[in-house]
Amino acid sequence: MDSRVFNQGEKLNIAEPLQRAIEEFSKFPGIGRKTAQRLSLFLLKTNEDSFNNFINSMVDLKKKLTFCSRCYNISEDELCEICRSPKREKTTICVVEEASDIIAIERTNEYMGMYHVLGGVLSPLSGMTHDRLKIKELLTRLKDENIEEIILALNPDTEGDATTLYLLNLLKPLGIRVTRIARGLPIGGDLEFADEATIGRALTGRIQL
Amino acid sequence: MILNSLLLNNFRLYKDAKIDFSPSINYLIGGNGQGKTSLLEAIYFMCTTKNFKAASDTELLRFTSDFYSVEGFFSNITDDNVKIYYSNADNKRIYSLNNKSVTRTSDIIGRFPIVLLTPQDHAITQGTPADRRKFFDSVISQAGSRYLMNLMEYAKILKNRSALLGTISFSQRTDLMEELDAWNEKLVLVGSEIIIARKNFVREFMPFFSDAFKSVTGRNDAAGISYTYLGNGISDEIADSRIQDKFHELLKIRRNEELKREVNLVGPHRDEFIFTLNSSPLRIFGSQGEHKTFQVALRFGQYFFLKDKLNRTPVILLDDVFGELEAKKASAISEHLNELGQTFVTMTDFSNVSLLDKSKDNLFINIQNGTATYA
Ligand SMILES: [Zn+2]
Repeated sequence: MDSRVFNQGEKLNIAEPLQRAIEEFSKFPGIGRKTAQRLSLFLLKTNEDSFNNFINSMVDLKKKLTFCSRCYNISEDELCEICRSPKREKTTICVVEEASDIIAIERTNEYMGMYHVLGGVLSPLSGMTHDRLKIKELLTRLKDENIEEIILALNPDTEGDATTLYLLNLLKPLGIRVTRIARGLPIGGDLEFADEATIGRALTGRIQL
Repeated sequence: MILNSLLLNNFRLYKDAKIDFSPSINYLIGGNGQGKTSLLEAIYFMCTTKNFKAASDTELLRFTSDFYSVEGFFSNITDDNVKIYYSNADNKRIYSLNNKSVTRTSDIIGRFPIVLLTPQDHAITQGTPADRRKFFDSVISQAGSRYLMNLMEYAKILKNRSALLGTISFSQRTDLMEELDAWNEKLVLVGSEIIIARKNFVREFMPFFSDAFKSVTGRNDAAGISYTYLGNGISDEIADSRIQDKFHELLKIRRNEELKREVNLVGPHRDEFIFTLNSSPLRIFGSQGEHKTFQVALRFGQYFFLKDKLNRTPVILLDDVFGELEAKKASAISEHLNELGQTFVTMTDFSNVSLLDKSKDNLFINIQNGTATYA
């Protein structure tokens, strides 16, 4: 059989709407082309009701949710549930990278203070400088609210650490207590995580000239 | 540690091979391109999870095959079985240790210590400072996974920092200087750990290296290794407690130059290791033979160091090393090898075979077109 029949990838003749759906799914984090294809075909075969449920939930996600104007958590209103809650300790702010980190911390039921979502970490390599994070907004809160302690809870990776150091230098002169969450076991060492090129160079580099 | 046998499937020239080895010296004899170095490649691959030829998986795959596998049976403190399986369809490598899949390199690295000598070792003494750093980094990494993690993190910091230097220099934004300060702190924290680890290593390594040097040469020459870092001279060591301060100081002094050139100018990525023979620098005064002796002694020093540190006897791989040495040295080394433990030696040159130790434990294996036969 002609091997060209099996040519994979963009050049294959797929109906245009299906092609577009696959492209859109491929943009999702962690979704490769094969999975995008499966998801698209699944939607195509699904019945009218469940299809509409799916589409409506997606529309609502964008229409009904916004970011809290104070802490930048995901919220249905101007202020998120945490910022509105009378039960929360208003003098402590826990600074996190993304709103998803709030969900993780809330699940522990250990923390009763407020949050502030930076929206990322310093990463000059990907063009993330301090002005693209909600740092100015954090400083404004320190002026407007009666904050006694700031907990820095960024991920313990290279960029997270640099951001923590940056914030420490910024916050120390303000006379507010600043702490950082205890660092767990160092990540790293995972095959998936490891920068293959770097390990390769370290271990076998002397050979490959 | 002993590699008792090796199973190869569709790896390089080997279709389906099972080779049993001697716990002493295994001489792998064959012409060029017959598959003797592939055996060393397979052994190194299992022990380090890395390919020393920097070959891609598709290069390793035997022609028209859709998978390859390399499996080794070791007698270690326990009996261990290591397997690497690659499937072309999934474009994925799976490592397993004792039939359980392994996701962390640190589970394998250091568990199967290995020392490899190749003609490319000339770069250690005759190449660039980067070549020397690579040698030392690889040995220290085998002895402990924390160092490897620091190296990986340090490389990431350097990339971010040079990007930031570029952004500042391009945009002239002064508000980014505090960001640079933060990256400096991170650079100093991780960089200092690397420097201290290298300092400690050279100190710990020296006695093992000196002994190895003496047994290779049979003479009492003073072979030295000096480590220079943060712009210090050979003899002025900086106390561990002072390293972070010194690092920061240098960053301050060279800040403008760094911004102008958009390059990281201070840190362990610019370190140098200097080899000396009777107090004169090998790089300048060493003869070809002295360089070769140094390279071999560094590798045997690595062997003794890892053996002591990890409490496991490393396997030794010699790739085409005998071809380069004079016959007299070759037989002297093969005598030493017998005392060391399990060794794999590739040889093209049949004329040297007659000089080698044919005591009964040593094994002579002929390799021809991906097939091994016992001589
Ligand atoms: Zn909020």
